[in-house]
Amino acid sequence: MKTQISKTCLRGLLPVLLLIFAAGPAYSAEGGVVQIYKHATAPFDNEKQVDAALSLPIKFVQVTESYQGGRFWTETRKDKIQRFKCSQCHNNKPVSVAQAAEIAHGQIALDHGSEARPLSCYSCHNKAERDFLETEQGMKVDMDHTYQLCGQCHFRQKKDWVGGAHGKRISYWAGQRVVKNCTSCHDPHSPRFKKRWPAIYSPPLSKGK
Amino acid sequence: METTQNHIRTHLTAIIGDTAAFVKDVITWSLSGGLAYQIYLCILAALMVLGVYAYFVQISEGLSATNMSDIVSWGFYIANFTFLVGVAAAAVMIILPSYIFKDKDLHKVVIIGEVVAIGALLMCLMFVFVDMGAPWNAWHLIPGIGLFNWPTSLLTWDVLVLNGYLVLNLLVPAYILYCHYYHRKPNEKLYLPFVFISIFWAFGIHLVTAFLYQGLPARPFWNNPLMGPRFLASAFAAGPALIIIVLVIIQTTTSFRVEDAVFNKIRRISVVAAIINLIMLFSEVFKEFYLPTHHSLPAIYLYFGLKGNTALVPWIWTAIVMNLIGTLILAFNPGKNNPRVLVPACALLFLGIWLEKGMGLIVPGLVPSPLGEVVNYAPSWVEVCITLGVMSLGIFVVSLLLKPALTIEQNYEAGQQT
Amino acid sequence: MDPRKNKICQKPAEKNCRQSRADGRREFLKAAARVAAFGGAAMLSGCGGGMLGSKEELSLRWKEYFKKNYRLMTQAEKDETVRRLERLAKLNNNVNVQMSSAPPIDGVLYGYAFSVTRCKGYMECVAACVKENNLDRKSNMQYIRIFEMEHGQMSPEVGNAKFYHPVPVEDHFYMGVQCNHCQNPPCVKACPVKATWQEPDGIVVVDYDWCIGCRYCIAACPYYGRRFNWNEAVVPKEEMTKKQHYLGNRLRHRGKTEKCTFCIQRTRAGRLPACAEACPTGARVFGNLLDPDSEIRFVLKNKKVFRWKEDLGTDPKFWYFID
Repeated sequence: MKTQISKTCLRGLLPVLLLIFAAGPAYSAEGGVVQIYKHATAPFDNEKQVDAALSLPIKFVQVTESYQGGRFWTETRKDKIQRFKCSQCHNNKPVSVAQAAEIAHGQIALDHGSEARPLSCYSCHNKAERDFLETEQGMKVDMDHTYQLCGQCHFRQKKDWVGGAHGKRISYWAGQRVVKNCTSCHDPHSPRFKKRWPAIYSPPLSKGK
Repeated sequence: METTQNHIRTHLTAIIGDTAAFVKDVITWSLSGGLAYQIYLCILAALMVLGVYAYFVQISEGLSATNMSDIVSWGFYIANFTFLVGVAAAAVMIILPSYIFKDKDLHKVVIIGEVVAIGALLMCLMFVFVDMGAPWNAWHLIPGIGLFNWPTSLLTWDVLVLNGYLVLNLLVPAYILYCHYYHRKPNEKLYLPFVFISIFWAFGIHLVTAFLYQGLPARPFWNNPLMGPRFLASAFAAGPALIIIVLVIIQTTTSFRVEDAVFNKIRRISVVAAIINLIMLFSEVFKEFYLPTHHSLPAIYLYFGLKGNTALVPWIWTAIVMNLIGTLILAFNPGKNNPRVLVPACALLFLGIWLEKGMGLIVPGLVPSPLGEVVNYAPSWVEVCITLGVMSLGIFVVSLLLKPALTIEQNYEAGQQT
Repeated sequence: MDPRKNKICQKPAEKNCRQSRADGRREFLKAAARVAAFGGAAMLSGCGGGMLGSKEELSLRWKEYFKKNYRLMTQAEKDETVRRLERLAKLNNNVNVQMSSAPPIDGVLYGYAFSVTRCKGYMECVAACVKENNLDRKSNMQYIRIFEMEHGQMSPEVGNAKFYHPVPVEDHFYMGVQCNHCQNPPCVKACPVKATWQEPDGIVVVDYDWCIGCRYCIAACPYYGRRFNWNEAVVPKEEMTKKQHYLGNRLRHRGKTEKCTFCIQRTRAGRLPACAEACPTGARVFGNLLDPDSEIRFVLKNKKVFRWKEDLGTDPKFWYFID
C-alpha cells in the first residue's frame, strides 16, 4: 500500500513540475519590447523590404530639412489655393473687378494668435511679393514650404513634425516618407480645430445583439 | 495448438456472453420501475427535448440567442459548469474515507457517490459544449488531430482532467459492479491503484477549474490565491449535501437501506467544509472592503450594486443567508438526522452555494468590463431551457445508473449473507 | 444463483407490468435516438448558411472544414485556402474579393503611439475601422473605443465612451483604446487550440476558421481588445472592403472571436492602418519599431510615453503620449 501512495504522490508532483515549466516561457523576454527596440539599431530599408505600390496620386515637394531617416517630402500647397498666383491681382496695377476684396478674400476670418495680440495679414504675407510669405527676419518663404514660417513661433511642433510626432504621414508607413504640410490640416488664418459632431457613436454595450 | 486456440475462443465467447448478460440486465433494471418512476423519467425526457429544441435555436441564430455580450462573455452555462465540477469532485469525500480510512459505513454508499459524480461530470462536459460558439470545430481540441495548446492553456488541462476523471469514475465502478453481479469479489490489485489515483485526481479537477479563473490578471475578482482552496471547500460542502439528499430519496423510494451512521458522517464532512468555506468567504470580503481599491469594484457590484446596477445584490445576500442557515442546521443537527430536517438544510446549503459559486462568481468577474463598463445580465429563455435540458440529462443518467447499481449491490449483500 | 431469477430484490408492483413497460420505454428511446441523430445531422449541415449549395461549393466547404491551422500551413497551402475562400465568396454572396495570404515583412515589428493631446474625439478612426475591417453592422461592432475624460484622471475606466455631441468639450480630453498587440499576450496563452498567436511582425492574429468559440481569450484580455461574433455578421455589399487578408478583414462567421489586426491587409503592403490614415488631427503614429529612423521611434525617444495597465505584464506595443 505504501508503494501505491508514493507512486500517486510522484504522479501528483508531475503536473506541478509541468506547470512550473509552462510558466517559464512567460518571462523569456527580459525587459520586453522596450529592450527589443532599444537594441534595434540596424537601418531598415523600407523601400527595398516592402514591395508596395508606392505612387501616391498627389503632388509633393522635398522638404528643405532632413529628419532622422534622411530626406522626406511634403504635400504641395500651391495647387490647393483657389486663386494662386496672388500676383494676378496684386501687381501694383488697379483692380477693375467690383468688390474684388470681398470676392477673393471675403471668406477669410482671421483668428490666429491670442485675443489680446492677434496676428495681422502682414505677419506672414510678403508685402512686396504677394506669391510668397515672409518671416520676421525678412526671408522669402515659398507657399509650398510654409513650415519654415510656422516654425518661427511653433518651433516645438515643427521639431515634432520633422521627427514624426506631430502631423501625419500620407497613406504609407513604408517607402518614401511623404507627410502632410502644416496647412494641409491647419487653416492658416484660423488654425485651431473646430468643434464638430463625431463621425459615429458607440452604442451602449448592454447586449451582443 | 488447436485445442489452445479453441480454448481461447471459448474463453472469449464466455467473456462476451457474460458482459452481454450484465449489460442486458443493467438496462432492464435501469428502465423498470413503478408508475411514478416512469412518469419521472418521462418528465426528464420532455425537459431534454425542450433543451434540444432551444439548442437548435441557439445553433441557427448564434449565441446572440443568449443574453451574453462582449462584456459578460461567460454566463449561465459556465456558471453551472463551475458549480457542477465541484459536485463531481465531492465524490472523493466518500471515496477517501472508505478506501483510505477503511470506513465500513461509507463503503456501502461509495457507489452512489461515484454515480452522482458521473452525472455531474456529464453535465459539466455538456455545459462546456453548449457554451461553445463553434461546436462544429470541437475536433480542433483533440490532441494529434487538432492543435492542443497543452500545457500553456488551462482549458486544455481542464479538458484532460475532466475526461480522465469521467473515465476513472466509469471504469472502476463498472468493474466492481460487474464482479458483484456475478457474486465475485473484485480483485483489489486491479482497481485499488485507480481508486487512489482518482482521489488525487478529484482534487486536481477542481483545482484546475479554479486555476482557469485564478490565472487571469485581467480579472481582479478572480485573480486571488484563495480561489482554488475556496472552490474545494465549497465543493466539499455542496457535494455531500447533494449526496445526503440522494440517499434520502433512495431510502424512501427503494428498498436499499442507509444507516444513520452514514448520514451522520456525510453530514459532518459537509459541515466542516461549509465552515471552512464561510471563513474563506469572510477573508475575501475583508480584503475587498477594508480598503477598497479599483480591484474591489466587482465585489462592490456584487454586494451593493454599482452605478445603479443592482441585479445581483438580492441574489448574493440570499445565497449567503441560505449558506449560513444550512450550515448552522447541519452543524447543530436539531433533528438528529431526521430526513425532514436534513433535506431542507442540505437543499439550502446546496442552493446557496450554487448561487454564490455559479452566477455570483462568473458575472462579477466580468463586470465591470476592462474598460469600466457595468451591465446587467440575466439568462435568456434559450439559456434557461438548455440548462434545464442538460440538468435533466444529468439526473436522467444518474437515475438510470443508480437503479441497477443498487439492485446489484443489494443482491450481492443478500448473496454474501446466505 | 442467477440474479435474473432472483425476485427478492424486485418490488411486487413491478412484476406484472415490468416487461411491457420496459419494451415500450426501449422503443421510445430508440425512436428518440434516431430523431436526435437526424436532428444532429440536420444541425451540422445547417450551420454556416443553411442551404445545400452546388457541388463545387460543397467540395470547397469540405476542404475548408478539414484544413489545418493557418500557422501550420505551407505558403502553398495558404495560397490555396485563400483562393478557395475567394471562390466561396463569389459563389455565396456574388462578391469579387481579393484575398491575400501575404507573409510578414522581415525586420518589422509594428508599434503604435496615440497622442492624447491631439485627439479631439472626432471618431473618424472608429468609422474608418468599421468600414475597412468589414465589421458587423447589426451588433455595431467597433474595435476602437474613444473615451471622453475629465481632467484629473488618466484611466479610461472613469471616462465616457458613449458620447454623441459636438466635440471637443471644454475641460475634457480624449483617449482611444483598442487591441494593444501585446508582446506578451495573455489571450495567446489562454487559447486551447492555438487559434490566436503573435505573428513575427508583432501583430496578434486569429485564424477565424480554427477558433472554437470558447471565449477564454476574451476573459483573458485586460484591454477589451477582442470581440465575439454573437450573431452572423451583416455587412452591406456596397460598403464591403474587397481587398482582404486571411488573418485580417475577411468575412467571419458567427461563433468566432475577432480583433484589431493593425489592418494587416494594409500594413503588410506598406500602407497605414485605416485608423491612422483617417485621423484628421494626426493623433495616431504608426510604424516599425525596429527601424531606428521611424516616427514611432522618434516619439518613444522624445516624448513622455506610457502604456495602459503596464503592471499586468502584458508588454503592449500601444503607447500613449502627451505633447
